[in-house]
Amino acid sequence: MLTVILQQGINGIVVGSLYVLVALGLTLIYGVLVQINFAHADFVTLGAFAAYFITHLLSGNYFAGIAVALVVGGVLGWLLNATIFAPLRERGNELLPLIATIGVSIMLQNAMLVLLGPIPYAFDTPYSNHVIRFAGLFFTVQSMLIIVMSTITIGILYAFMKFTFLGKALRAVSQDRETAGLMGINPNYVIMLTFVIASALAGMSGALLGPVLVLTPFAGTSVIVKAFAIVIIGGFGNVEGTIIAGLIVGLIESYTTQFLDPGLIDIVVFALLLLTLALRPTGLIAERREENV
Amino acid sequence: MMKRSFRAFLMPTALMAGLLAVSTTTGFAADKVIKIGGLFPISGPGSYFGVQDKQGVELAVEQLNKSGVNGYKFEVQFEDSACSPLPATQAAKRLVEQFKPDVAIGEECSDATLAIMPVMAQAQIPLLNAGSSSIKVTEPGNPWTFRIMPNEVMQGIDIATNAYKRLNARTAVVLHENTNAGIGNAKVFAETFTKLGGKILADIGFGRDVNDFTSIATRVAGIGKVDVIPTYTLEGQGLKITQALAQAGVVKGGGGHSIQLGTIWLPFGFEKKAGKAALGYVRIVQFDPTDQREVVRNFIKAFKAKYNQDPTHINAHAYDQVMLIADVVRRGGKDAKSIRDGLAATKDFSGVTGSVAFDKTNQNTKMDTVHYMETMPDLSWKALKWN
Repeated sequence: MLTVILQQGINGIVVGSLYVLVALGLTLIYGVLVQINFAHADFVTLGAFAAYFITHLLSGNYFAGIAVALVVGGVLGWLLNATIFAPLRERGNELLPLIATIGVSIMLQNAMLVLLGPIPYAFDTPYSNHVIRFAGLFFTVQSMLIIVMSTITIGILYAFMKFTFLGKALRAVSQDRETAGLMGINPNYVIMLTFVIASALAGMSGALLGPVLVLTPFAGTSVIVKAFAIVIIGGFGNVEGTIIAGLIVGLIESYTTQFLDPGLIDIVVFALLLLTLALRPTGLIAERREENV
Repeated sequence: MMKRSFRAFLMPTALMAGLLAVSTTTGFAADKVIKIGGLFPISGPGSYFGVQDKQGVELAVEQLNKSGVNGYKFEVQFEDSACSPLPATQAAKRLVEQFKPDVAIGEECSDATLAIMPVMAQAQIPLLNAGSSSIKVTEPGNPWTFRIMPNEVMQGIDIATNAYKRLNARTAVVLHENTNAGIGNAKVFAETFTKLGGKILADIGFGRDVNDFTSIATRVAGIGKVDVIPTYTLEGQGLKITQALAQAGVVKGGGGHSIQLGTIWLPFGFEKKAGKAALGYVRIVQFDPTDQREVVRNFIKAFKAKYNQDPTHINAHAYDQVMLIADVVRRGGKDAKSIRDGLAATKDFSGVTGSVAFDKTNQNTKMDTVHYMETMPDLSWKALKWN
């Protein structure tokens, strides 16, 4: 039984790491803009498909696929912010960009449906079926890669936010956009940067999720609801909270599957969400709004 | 300037959305036309059904309209019923109110079919179903609904009996999606297998939003020796389950002992996608491409000529639906009522998936539409000829 408990712990951390990567992009955008991006799921899907096609084109070079997915996500984020979200934000109505993200989501899903079809793709990387067995435990090289890539990405993002000028500027805008502007920071530039980073993260998480997901044009939507829950449980835009909440949700899924029933996963996760909102409305890490991101 | 560029961006978007939202029609102007309404999932996780259904339907209509049947030609309108009750109801109402079909075909997913049935019954339009397995579709019986495919009870009893008697299985873990069809199929298997003397070690249900099946595979691996794992799910999740069970060393494809048993729900090409994990997978399909009957050989030839690909069982049963309607028209069917009566009187129709004869509940009683296949090491199929 100890082996099974340990195995489910590994499974939970792998899934949780993926959730964290998806949720971090949402957290960044929420932290800076106090806006929910419903199209984030589709950036994840696009990243997964970009990685799929590049990996196949380059005869199994998965790392090239991940890199391209990162770039595709970033470019898409920049493009959509420049052409849709930024002009709508300028009108001063917070609802317009929110609704626009829903429109972009539907548009991207249907465009992918037309171009790629509805039949699930089998995204096998050179690592997804390479199983390592050790002391009764098993894990694929792909799952180890997910944990390593997630850890590195989180580390880089953390260092960027804490130690670089741009990262500090981003945090300043999240604390007080107007004052940051008075201090010489261009808020529009920082918001653009936030969209690019968040979307690049979504693209990369799609590349890592692709071999795990049932890869169809709707793939991202299956994880995005949990990612939203993680953002809320973690503390509405708090990066550290998002990481902890993502891992907790991953572990809850694994242990619910083992000891209860996989059909109860959503009930348990969303009960935790409601409990968090009721008992700790600020999320797991209750920071002041100005300290978010 | 920005306004203009935003509009320029929205225009193609709106056009694309419009193209997707508007249903497609395959038809022509003619005096004597049988109007067929196609209710299939074109969007969402079950949309792979709809794409393949449409191919089968369009091939059949194209062949029939070359010379017509009894002076009638066929016109089809497709609506997206999305494999889900609410959109299926809306699509069915739209079809009835706007297209006014003489007969409807679809859906694939049981939950959606069950939602469509009352709409069709109220409009007194016969519904011919080929892909839903829930017993509720034909029990206790609906005078306007007919089903070609063996229902979950017929399939479940057959699979459980073959697992016990031919595979000598004594223990099983049942995996299923939490839908009417998933739960129903799993229940029938479990009841039959237990009655025969087998033991169900676990019954694991899951939602359609589950992506990673490693935790479920871990749980199955922790149960001990399992002889068979009947699995009731759509293609995408089925693929992930098979790979996860192999990675956990549970099934033959991963060096384990268990044999995975699959359903009619999975399309051709599944094994190619699952890779070596699918080795030893025994599953039923609704269409045997090695069948030497003339109707099957002609269908395969025509399908390859039109689409440059091999037909799947979904293509095949969609084709059969239209061909069965044509057979009824040949026997005098000309409107909803006479087509319903003609379908009910069907006793000896021979289609590409097998033969059709409806009982009092309008369920096809023939089991030759079920073909057992085993996945070989080169991922090809071996027809087990159990039926």
